[in-house]
Amino acid sequence: MKRTREEVDATLLIAKLNAAELLPAVHCLSFGPGASGAAAGDFSLLELEPTLCQQLEDGHSLVIRGDKDEQAVLCSKDKTYDLKIADTSNMLLFIPGCKTPDQLKKEEAHCNIIHTEIFGFSNNYWELRRCRPKLKKLKKLLMENPYEGPDSQKEKDSNCSKYTTEDLLDQIQASEEEIMTQLQVLNACEIGGYWRILEFDYEMKLLNHVTQLVDSESWSFRKVPLNTCLQELGPLEPEEMIEHCLKCYGKKYVDEGEVYFELDADKICRATAHMLLQNAVKFNLAEFQEVWQQSVPEGMITSLDQLKGLALVDRHSRPEIIFLLKVDDLPEDNQGRFNSLFSLREKWTEEDIAPYIQDLCGEKQTIGALLTKYSRSSMQNGVKVYNSRRPIS
Amino acid sequence: MVQIVISSARAGGLAEWVLMELQGEIEARYSTGLAGNLLGDLHYTTEGIPVLIVGHHILYGKIIHLEKPFAVLVKHTPGDRDCDELRRETGTQYLVTALIKNKILFKIRPKPIITNVPKKV
Repeated sequence: MKRTREEVDATLLIAKLNAAELLPAVHCLSFGPGASGAAAGDFSLLELEPTLCQQLEDGHSLVIRGDKDEQAVLCSKDKTYDLKIADTSNMLLFIPGCKTPDQLKKEEAHCNIIHTEIFGFSNNYWELRRCRPKLKKLKKLLMENPYEGPDSQKEKDSNCSKYTTEDLLDQIQASEEEIMTQLQVLNACEIGGYWRILEFDYEMKLLNHVTQLVDSESWSFRKVPLNTCLQELGPLEPEEMIEHCLKCYGKKYVDEGEVYFELDADKICRATAHMLLQNAVKFNLAEFQEVWQQSVPEGMITSLDQLKGLALVDRHSRPEIIFLLKVDDLPEDNQGRFNSLFSLREKWTEEDIAPYIQDLCGEKQTIGALLTKYSRSSMQNGVKVYNSRRPIS
Repeated sequence: MVQIVISSARAGGLAEWVLMELQGEIEARYSTGLAGNLLGDLHYTTEGIPVLIVGHHILYGKIIHLEKPFAVLVKHTPGDRDCDELRRETGTQYLVTALIKNKILFKIRPKPIITNVPKKV
C-alpha cells in the first residue's frame, strides 16, 4: 500500500507543482498502525527550556511530584516548575524520521521516497513555569520530632517520625538540591541517617557551650580551634553535635594543618536575639538592645539589620517596642502572606515589609512588583506606606 | 504524595522527531480511524518551504526552529513488577522517547487542487 514514485509524481502533476522547484526527496506521510491521540493518555508532549532539554540529552531524569489534591510540579535536580496543560486549537502531529530541508540538503540528492509513519497526534502539551519550591512542609515535617539531644527520652522511642533524604523527596514538592539547601538554612543535622531539626533550646545550649568556651579561653571568635572544642566540650555533648553547631554558626578553614572555625557574628547575634525575644510577647526596644549587646560574645556588634525576617520594630508605640515575627511562620502563598501581614499591621513601609515578602519573589519578580499587585500605596507623614487592597477582617 | 519519574530512554543520543502543526482537524475518510491511513505527501521547495498535499489540498508552510523544544513522553505503567536500583516497586513512569526541536507549521489556508479546468470556449 506504499506510495510509489510514479504516484507521487502524478500527484505533483495534478497539483500543478513544478518538480524542478522542489527538493528531490519526498516524505509520504501515513499514520502508524498504533497512532492514536494523546487524549488516550499513553503519551504526552512536554515543553522544555533549553537547559532542561540538555539535561535529558545527558541522560538525567525529571520527576513529577504531587499529592492528588495538589498542583503537580516537575523537578529537575535543582529546580522546580509548575506543570500545567496547555491547549491548542491546532493539531500537533509527532513524526519520527522526518527530515528538515537543511538535513536533506546535506545528504546526497536522491530522488527518493521517505515512507514516514506518524507516531501520534495531540491538541495539548505540558507547559512548565519555574516556581518557588514548596518548602514550608519540610520544616513542618522535621518539627514533628525535633532533636533534643541523645539522652532525650524521645530518642529511645522508635515510633517517633523521622525522615531520610528519600522520605523527604517523597513528600516535598521541590528538587533535591533545593531541599538540601533549605536543610542547611534550617540548621538541620543528619543523625543516624535521618534529617533532624534541633529543638531551639538544645541548639542554643550547644551554641552557648561554644561561645562560653571562646570567652573563657580568650580566643578570637575568628579563630576557634575545632580539636580543643571537641576535647573540652566532648564530655558535655556528642562531638558530632558540637561540630554541627560550629558548621552552622561558622566557616571552616585550615591554618598550618589545624582546623579552625570563623564564627559568623551576624548569625550568632541573630540567634541570641531570637533566644531573648521568644520568651516575651514584646520587648521595650531600648532595653532589648542593651541586653542583647551584653549577651553576645566579646567583639561582636549587634545591629537591628541582623533581625530582618525575624523580628519587627514598632516605632509608633510609646515606648518603642520590638517583637518576634518569623517569616517562616507566615503563609507560603502570596495572597495568604499579604493577608497575614496586613492583619498584623495595617500600614507598612517598604523597608519593614521587604524582609517578609522577599522570599515570594520569583525569578523575574521584584518586591516592587509584588507590592503593586497585592497592596495599595499612600503617603503618611511624607513616607510611602502600603496597605491591603481589600478590607481584612 | 506521588513521584512520577520521567527518564531518558537512552543516555547517548535521543531520537529527534519533527512536529507538524495543522490548523483544524484531520478526519478519516472512513470510520475506521486514522491509524494505518495515508496522510499525504510532504515536499520541500528548493528554498526550504514545506509543501503538503493532503487529499485535494495543497498547504504551504514554514519550518520553525523551536525556542523551547519538546520531549515526547511515552507512559509506562508497571504491569511486570519493575524495580529501580533501590529495589522498590516503581509506579507509573514516563520514558522520553524523542526530542522535537523543529516544527513544520501550516497556517495559511489550504489551496484546493482543481483537477478539471474547464476549457475556454
